[in-house]
Amino acid sequence: MIRSAAILIALATFATAAEPLSFNRDIRPILSENCFACHGFDSKKREAELRLDTPEGAYTVKDGAFPIKPGDLAKSEVWQRIITSDEDDLMPPPKSHKKLTQKQKDTLKLWIEQGASYQKHWAFEKPVEKAGASIDSLLAERQTKDKLTFAEEAERETLIRRVSFTLTGLPPTLAEVDTFLKGQSYEAMVDQYMKSPRFGEEMARHWLDVARYADTHGLHLDNERSTWAYRDWVVKAFNENLPFDQFTVWQIAGDQLPNATPDQFTATGFSRCNVTTSEGGAIDEEYRHLYAVDRAATLTTAWLGLTGGCAQCHDHKYDPLTTAEFYSLYAFFYSGADPAMDKNISSTEPFLRLPTPEQQKSLDAAIAAENAALKALDDSAQKAAYVEKKTAEAQTITQVLFDDVFAPGMETKNTTRNASVWVNKPAYGAKSGQRVLRIANGQFSEENLTPQLTPVVLAESSRISVWARIDPLSPPRVLCLNINGRRLMWGDAEAFEGLTYFQENAITVGELPKPGVWTQLSVDPSAVLGFKPGTRLNTISLQQVGGVVMWDRLEVSGKTTTDKHALTSLTTWWKQVSGSKKNPSDVPAAELKTLMTAPDKVTDAKQREALRRFYIARVAQPISDEIAQRRSAWEAAKTIRAAADSAIPGTFVFRDAETPRETFIAMRGAYNKLGDKVEPTTPAAFHPLKKAGARATRLDLAKWLVAPENPMTARVTVNRFWQQVFGIGLVKTSHDFGSQGEPPSHPELLDDLAVRFQKNGWNVKALIKELLMTKAFKQASPVESSLLSLDPDNRLLARGPRIRLDAEQIRDNALFVSGLINLEMGGRGVRTYQPPNIWEPVGYGDSNTRYYLQDHGSALYRRSLYSFLKRTAPPPFMSNFDAPNREQSCTRRERSNTPMQALQLMNDVQHFEAARALAERVIAQGGPDDSVKLNWLFRTVLSRKPDAKETTMLNAALTKQRELYQKDPQAAEEAIFVGESTPKKSAAPAETAAWTLIANLVLNLDETVSRN
Amino acid sequence: MNPFFESNLLQTRRQFFGHSGLRLGGLGLTYAMGTDAFAAPKSQVHEPLPGLPHFAAKAKAVIYLHMNGGPSQLDTWDYKPGLQQWYDKDLPPSVQGGQRLTGMTSKQARFPVAPSLFKFSQHGQCGRWVSELLPHTAKHVDDIALIKTVHTNAINHDPACTFVMTGREVPGFASLGSWLSYGLGSVSNDLPAFVVLTPNWSAKAMAQALFTRMWSSGFLPSKFSGVALRAVGDPVLYMQNPEGVSPANRRAMLDTLSQMNAHSFEKFGDPEIQTRISQYEMAFRMQTSVPELVDLKQESQATLDMYGPEVLKPGSFAASAILARRLIERGTRVVQVLHRGWDQHGNLPADIRLQCRDTDQPIGALLTDLKQRGLLDSTLVIWGGEFGRTVYSQGGLSQTNYGRDHHPRNFCMWMAGGGIKGGTTYGESDDFSYNIATDPAHLNDINATTLHQCGIDHERLSYKFQGLDARLTGVERQKPIKEIIG
Repeated sequence: MIRSAAILIALATFATAAEPLSFNRDIRPILSENCFACHGFDSKKREAELRLDTPEGAYTVKDGAFPIKPGDLAKSEVWQRIITSDEDDLMPPPKSHKKLTQKQKDTLKLWIEQGASYQKHWAFEKPVEKAGASIDSLLAERQTKDKLTFAEEAERETLIRRVSFTLTGLPPTLAEVDTFLKGQSYEAMVDQYMKSPRFGEEMARHWLDVARYADTHGLHLDNERSTWAYRDWVVKAFNENLPFDQFTVWQIAGDQLPNATPDQFTATGFSRCNVTTSEGGAIDEEYRHLYAVDRAATLTTAWLGLTGGCAQCHDHKYDPLTTAEFYSLYAFFYSGADPAMDKNISSTEPFLRLPTPEQQKSLDAAIAAENAALKALDDSAQKAAYVEKKTAEAQTITQVLFDDVFAPGMETKNTTRNASVWVNKPAYGAKSGQRVLRIANGQFSEENLTPQLTPVVLAESSRISVWARIDPLSPPRVLCLNINGRRLMWGDAEAFEGLTYFQENAITVGELPKPGVWTQLSVDPSAVLGFKPGTRLNTISLQQVGGVVMWDRLEVSGKTTTDKHALTSLTTWWKQVSGSKKNPSDVPAAELKTLMTAPDKVTDAKQREALRRFYIARVAQPISDEIAQRRSAWEAAKTIRAAADSAIPGTFVFRDAETPRETFIAMRGAYNKLGDKVEPTTPAAFHPLKKAGARATRLDLAKWLVAPENPMTARVTVNRFWQQVFGIGLVKTSHDFGSQGEPPSHPELLDDLAVRFQKNGWNVKALIKELLMTKAFKQASPVESSLLSLDPDNRLLARGPRIRLDAEQIRDNALFVSGLINLEMGGRGVRTYQPPNIWEPVGYGDSNTRYYLQDHGSALYRRSLYSFLKRTAPPPFMSNFDAPNREQSCTRRERSNTPMQALQLMNDVQHFEAARALAERVIAQGGPDDSVKLNWLFRTVLSRKPDAKETTMLNAALTKQRELYQKDPQAAEEAIFVGESTPKKSAAPAETAAWTLIANLVLNLDETVSRN
Repeated sequence: MNPFFESNLLQTRRQFFGHSGLRLGGLGLTYAMGTDAFAAPKSQVHEPLPGLPHFAAKAKAVIYLHMNGGPSQLDTWDYKPGLQQWYDKDLPPSVQGGQRLTGMTSKQARFPVAPSLFKFSQHGQCGRWVSELLPHTAKHVDDIALIKTVHTNAINHDPACTFVMTGREVPGFASLGSWLSYGLGSVSNDLPAFVVLTPNWSAKAMAQALFTRMWSSGFLPSKFSGVALRAVGDPVLYMQNPEGVSPANRRAMLDTLSQMNAHSFEKFGDPEIQTRISQYEMAFRMQTSVPELVDLKQESQATLDMYGPEVLKPGSFAASAILARRLIERGTRVVQVLHRGWDQHGNLPADIRLQCRDTDQPIGALLTDLKQRGLLDSTLVIWGGEFGRTVYSQGGLSQTNYGRDHHPRNFCMWMAGGGIKGGTTYGESDDFSYNIATDPAHLNDINATTLHQCGIDHERLSYKFQGLDARLTGVERQKPIKEIIG
């Protein structure tokens, strides 16, 4: 309520009576709101063929009357319709529910009297530089109209904290505050934060809202998506001060740059950040259409400041963007090479692996080594003499299904739908070889193995064994081996109760192994399951409910004579495989053909010989020391190659399909009602597109966006940075510079900044520094009520900006001042503390992001930028403080103020643990007595000393909390053990607990969660 | 994030703006002196938009029972006795009409008709046919208006769920509950205006997902988002004090916090600081009001029995149903209960039995309970899914088993209470429940009806978004269904 009133006040102050009317400032908003829906740009919705958005439309005689006759109210039909008392003639018509206020009528009247002059919408005019002006001078000029002036400069403690949060999203350290107080120049202080790697992180955060970056696909299963390299690139781009024109070109068309670098490819992930689906019945054409709509609309909002999405269904009612033009922008993206269905995997193509030069070198070497090892092995097999034998006695034969790699021809699938996860050389050591298989999930998960190339057939006295090591921080409830669909369990059988994966005939074999040590799970399948010798094991599955478990070396052993085992008898193996319905993988085509034909049907000796050699080399129990040695050399080489391969991250990139798809207007936005064919091009209201070839490319589009003639990109961009620094844009509607958006509070300033930004090589750091160096930014923020009612949103900047911190800043602040923070940069999203049941009640049955599996240790204290963002159920610490769910582009966050936020700041384990850690810092480092300690605490959090009143209040609070905890030592013990970090016990529990509550208090202060 | 309690915000702001010429530093005192200033506010916590309601509202509260996945209309409410003779015969192409099918059955060789396995019988004065799956709901048919011709735009879950709650298929728009709390404000001082419950379900098949966008505020301010009342962990997020922090510790901390924030206000003069002070007090009050809300021990045994054996099991549908009543009794405006597990592509008979066992008795009890307490007249209860299911069987059809694919062309929803004319039926489907025969009702007509019952002209409740006046009911012309309005 107050907010909308506030806008009126603010806008009202922009026009003063003495000034002549300006069409863009005074008239367009009225016409746009009340008239353009029927008398505007959209030709299909135009009533009575009258348009009032152009002078031609308004001045031309229609049915014998002037819609508007400049200077002549009596002859202006529009005016007569506005003032008529006849309901049938009245404009706007009563059924539109729109009504002009008296003030608006007066303004229109004056405008027609003054000659009804039109202007092109301000944002489509080329911005001009204001020679000799500065940010401060232009702001001051505007302030004088309301007899305002800049406030005095804020105190230095306030300044450094304001700068530090603006540039790094974190508070200053005490040492930094002291340096600044001791005389470091303001500029030096600003420079120091601009050089910090935290700068890129803070800048990236804002851009990632625009880019709608998240860690899941967003629709239906909402499975994990691995495109964090894009997020990390954004951080890097800001830290390296990549000029904004290049920042633009790389994201729109990095793949089309000559000799594109990995970074340039990674940047194209921008256009892959939209939500995608793989829902069962979904129709490809529909989603291909929706993705292109999203990409085109995001581009229009992010660079052109226009709400292009509207033109998806109809000509834009307010701005000159026709449906055909929207679909011409859409055409740049409609030919994307990505599939309509994301397949619910984390690496939906086009997916680019991004090795560093060293990683590429290692991988190339590993591949060469693997090939050499295989050749050596095959060579040995060539020479080896193999005669099929039958031993008199049964002997133990062991078949390994996986150790460091899966056995050749093993088919695997797992619950995540992604590749299996291996850990190379874990700190606690592999049980066998060097790699272990990792299964981690908040609930049921499995790794399912189907031996295709070498069947597993039970012999006498068989055993099935696998090693498991439970992560002590994340124990599962139960481990299982599922053999041919029969489940054997170690641990809590009830873990399956109520789950879809429940099985009636499951058997509990033993206790859950002790966490932190390797334990062999081993069963005799004939004793436990009644499986007779000769039973073929079609599938073996490693399963668990919850937790993190490492698995190693799965093997099946048994006693038999050699003629009966696939590993010792070519004929037995051949018979078993050729009977299968499915072709095994990892077999060369020629050998495969032989193998899949029954042994007695193959007469060609050469074919038989080739298969025999394949068998000796890759399948059979080694028949000589040489082969044994070369086989293990090959396996080792495979392991090294696999490890080198999986060390290389990948990311979503945008590429075009080989042949462009024909693109049509989707009538009224419906994918299956196609209209005219369109070619990729840019809207006619702007400067022409320069095409390098016959068909316009995304690169042409990107260059067009940052061309000097483009009136929008620089304005939209400087406005967003202004919004970041001052809390609200010069154009408040930072996503909409069209006629429905709010006009700029300081048009000349916006234009001047935009032109100079371009001239200055789109230098982002220079722009931001210029904003921070202004008098406007450095002002003190306290506000008198008279100014508050005149300018509640602080659009005129007659005081310093005071805004609530963003979600990420609030959490990062608590971690930072408590000393818990882990400033490691980049990588896969981390899963910090999250209350139970955020993902679970909403996630699809077997979505790989249904069950939240929290990380442990230092990962809990990473910066919020790196926390895992599931779109259909985002982390509450983010959404509670207005972070968007990244389902679509967002250029401006709200700043709400709710009791839910109060509850979170008081009670969320992240905040309470931070309070404990901060309390311990106070006790250990804060000084000799309470007053000094309180001083230290206050300065650590707020950069300033408490005043006398605050000291009194804090002292009283401390006394009270001490009293309470001394009476209840049990409670004190509990309070200091909230969270996973262990208390250092630098003081008695009651003392630490009392200080924890004081730290909790200080972390909850309004001043703490605000940039003052 | 939450749609509630702006009382102190408004009060303090009114005071602030009311005392013209107030000097900085003068105001803080009342706040610094103690907590009396934060006694529960008397006026409406968060006021309605100016001009709302547009006309007298029949319903003060809405309970929306969303059966997620798409319940089969053929096995519940759309009685088609004639289908028995069509068992395993192909659905005539003239009926199918070449309409689009999902990717799951579009390649199916045959489209064999699967008549419902369940018996239907007539109930109530209105003599409505109801499936044997719903014996408890059937007792209330004279209070229920059944709409048999609801249709939607989307054919798959994600877009259809988004559509049913926000009127659009793509993310980003405001949900029904958010619109209502935005437009009508809140009358509860201690509880959210819009609460969401996501109970457990029993069907064995893989359950479809829910999306927070089904109760999020979209483009509306985020405080109008639904607040999830949770069965596991804190009922409302972060509500409980950490271990070792007693109410006394918390109260002491809050007293100083209020004083210090008031001190801060003296310095900065920023009204947001006063809002924050009042939000902390509201948070403290919630720490009492929410546990009271979820404590079902206060209910009589007779009432508990009525909801069935699972009522005391946290997270059951029965528990959600009784909580819905308790919420609206305490002033919550919209309660959305989203029950998953209705996506029966196969094994429909077994799974729908389980789903109805979860929901039927509690729904019957809820209607009885509301009526007994005189709340039904002012509470609109809505039941439905995101679409219906096909008459033809997906996969194998036998005498005892079948599955059904998604069917957006016609499905059933019902409304009761809140000024709805009970015992009425709106619309008829064709003999195969495959097409609408008479009186189509688009989902946005349903939403328009819901708004209408709450005193809102759906064409006049809008919000500026992307330069347009966005409405829950979209740009196409929609209308409330007058025929079911009492």
